Amino acid sequence: MSEEAIRVDGVSYAYGDVKAVDDISFSVAQGEVLGFLGPNGAGKSTTIKLLTGQMRPQTGDIAILGMNVAKERDAIQGRIGVCFEEKNLYLNLSAKENLHFFARLFGIRDFDPTPLLQRVGLADRADDRVKGYSKGMQQRLMVARCLLNNPDILFLDEPTDGLDPVSSQAIRRVIEEEAERGAAILLTTHDMDEADKLSDRVAFINDGTIAALDTPENLKLAHGQRSVRVRTRENGEIREQVVPLDASDTGDQLKAVVGAEGLLTIHTEEATLEAVFITLTGRGLQE
Amino acid sequence: MSAQVSRAAIVWAIVRKDLREYSRERFFVVITVISILVYGIAFWLMPSSVDESFAVGIHQTGMDDIFAAAMEDQGVGIELVQFETVAALEAALGMGDAEPEEPLAIGLAFPNDFLQRVAAGQQTTVRVYVDANVPVELQRAMESFVREIAYALSGNPLPVADPNREVIVLGEDRVGAQVPFREKIRPLFAFMALVIETFALSSLVATEIQARTVTAVLVSPTRVSDFLAAKGILGTGMAFAQAVLLLLIIGSFANQPLILLCAVLLGAVLVTGCGLIAGAAGKDFIETLFYGMAFMIPLMIPAIAVLFPGSAAGWVQVLPSYGLVQAVVQASAYNAGWLDVLPHLGTALGWCGIAFAVGLVILKRRVETL
Repeated sequence: MSEEAIRVDGVSYAYGDVKAVDDISFSVAQGEVLGFLGPNGAGKSTTIKLLTGQMRPQTGDIAILGMNVAKERDAIQGRIGVCFEEKNLYLNLSAKENLHFFARLFGIRDFDPTPLLQRVGLADRADDRVKGYSKGMQQRLMVARCLLNNPDILFLDEPTDGLDPVSSQAIRRVIEEEAERGAAILLTTHDMDEADKLSDRVAFINDGTIAALDTPENLKLAHGQRSVRVRTRENGEIREQVVPLDASDTGDQLKAVVGAEGLLTIHTEEATLEAVFITLTGRGLQE
Repeated sequence: MSAQVSRAAIVWAIVRKDLREYSRERFFVVITVISILVYGIAFWLMPSSVDESFAVGIHQTGMDDIFAAAMEDQGVGIELVQFETVAALEAALGMGDAEPEEPLAIGLAFPNDFLQRVAAGQQTTVRVYVDANVPVELQRAMESFVREIAYALSGNPLPVADPNREVIVLGEDRVGAQVPFREKIRPLFAFMALVIETFALSSLVATEIQARTVTAVLVSPTRVSDFLAAKGILGTGMAFAQAVLLLLIIGSFANQPLILLCAVLLGAVLVTGCGLIAGAAGKDFIETLFYGMAFMIPLMIPAIAVLFPGSAAGWVQVLPSYGLVQAVVQASAYNAGWLDVLPHLGTALGWCGIAFAVGLVILKRRVETL
C-alpha cells in the first residue's frame, strides 16, 4: 500500500430529510481493495455517486488522486472506472461497439477492444449485439468497459451479484489483477465470502454511517466469536453442540465433549463477516 | 489512463453512437421510410389545380341563342350541358335507375312551351334541380338566372336599374389561379415528417434514461452539456433532413427555397425541444408517447387550419407552430419574400428558443437526479 487514492473527510448527503450518508470518513490506498458492505439503503450507492462526481457532497471533502472531486471532475473522471450494479449497456450495439464508443469518450485513440474482451472471456462474441448476451456476459462486458481507460481507481458496485460461478470467478480474477497492477478498488457487495477473500479492508456501512472499518481478520478477531462444533451419536440419535473458544470454561467443556463416547466430528468455526456485521449493527446484510 | 479529449469529439461520439442505434431501431426506420413514401405519393395524387367552373345540366327547346347570350353575360364559371329530354337530364343528375359516372349537381328543365308562354305573358314553371350539397347561394343564383332568361325572352328589361358593380378583392385576386389543395397541405406533410422524428428522438432519450446508460456516459469525461448538445444536434439534424427530403419529393423548393429551409430548420428545433421534454418526462414507452402526442397535436393545428381558410380561431395564432406554417404557406404557395415572412419566422424563432430551453432544462434535471 502506498499513496492515498481516495480520501473522504466528514462527507454527508441527505435526500430531503433523509440522511443517506452521514459524516463518513475513510481512505483507500493505491493497490488496496476496500470492501464496502451494507444492506440495501445503507448509503453505499450514494457514496459511490459522491465519489465518482455524479453528486456533490453537501458537507465534507472528497479527494480523488489528490484532486477535489467537486472542482476537478473532468480530470478525475478520465482516471476512474465505474462498474454499475444495473446493466447499463447499449443493447443494440455489439460489445466492440460499446467499448469503442466509451473509448472515444475517454479520448483513447487507436483503441483495440480485443485484449480487454479476451480478458473477460468475450472475444468470441465481440461482434454480437449485447441484447443477446446472458446476464453474466453483460456483467463481464461492464467490467471490461470500466477497465478500458486503464483506471487508477475502480468503483465496482455489486459486480458479481446473481452471476453464475464462471462469470463470478472471471470478475474476481480481474479484481485481483487490477489490485496487483496498483489500482485502488472500492468494492460494494452483499457476498461476505467475496468481500472476505478480495478485500484488504472492509467498511461496514449502516444508516449512512461507517460502523466499522478494518481488515476482515481484525474485525473477526475483535467482534466475532470462535467456536468448536461437535457432533456425537447418543442412543442412536445425532447430537450437535457448539463450544465457544473464548469462554472461561472452554477447556472443561472440550474435555467433556472429546472424552464422551460416540464422537462423530469436531470442527473449529471462525466468525464470519456477516456475524460481525450483525453484532455491530443489529441487522443483517440481506435486509 | 485516458488522453485529453475535446468537447466536440465527445459530442460527435455520442451523435455517431445514436445514429448507429437509430439505424438499428427497425420500428422507427420503417415508420420513417413508409411515412415519407406515403406522404410523397399522396401529395402527387392530389389535384394540382382548382376547377373553378361548374356544370349545369339544361333541357330547353328553341332558346339556344338566348342561352348563348346569357352565358356571355354570366362570364366564366358556368358550363351548360344540353339534354334532349327531361328524362335524360334527370338521369344525368342521378335521379334515374343507373348511377352516372359524374352526376351533375345542378339542372334546369324548361318546359317545351316556355318560350311561347313567357312571350304571351302566361305563368309557367321551370324546374331547378339542386343537389343537397350545393350551397344555398348557388341555388339562389340559379333561380335568378331563370328569372333573367324569362325577362330576356319577354323583351322586358329588369324592373330595376342595373347598378354598376365594382368588385374589390381583399388581398390577392386568385380568380383563375386558386391555390390547389395539395399546395395547402404541404406544411401539414412537412410537419408530419418532423413529428415522426420527434418520436424517434424522444424514444432514444427515454431509453438512455430508463436503461441508465446516461449514467455510464456521465462518469466518463462527458459533461451533461455534452450529452444534451449531442441529443439536440441529432434530433434537429434528423428532423430537418427528413422534412427537407419530403419537401424535395413533393417539389416544394420552386418558390423561395431559402425561406423554406429556414422555416423547416426552425421547425426541427421546435420539435426537438418537444422531443427532449417528452423523452425526459416519460417513465416508459407509453408515457413518452403520451407526452409526445400532447405536444404534437397542438403543434399540428395551424397546419390543419390552413386547409380550411377562415376557420382558424384567434387562439391558433398563439400556437408555437403558427408562424412556421404561415411562412411555409406564404413562401411556397404565394411566393412571398423575406420581408413578408420575417415576422412569422421571428415569432417561430422565439418559440423554438423557449421549447428547446425547456427541453434541455427538464432533461438536465432528470439526468442529474438519476
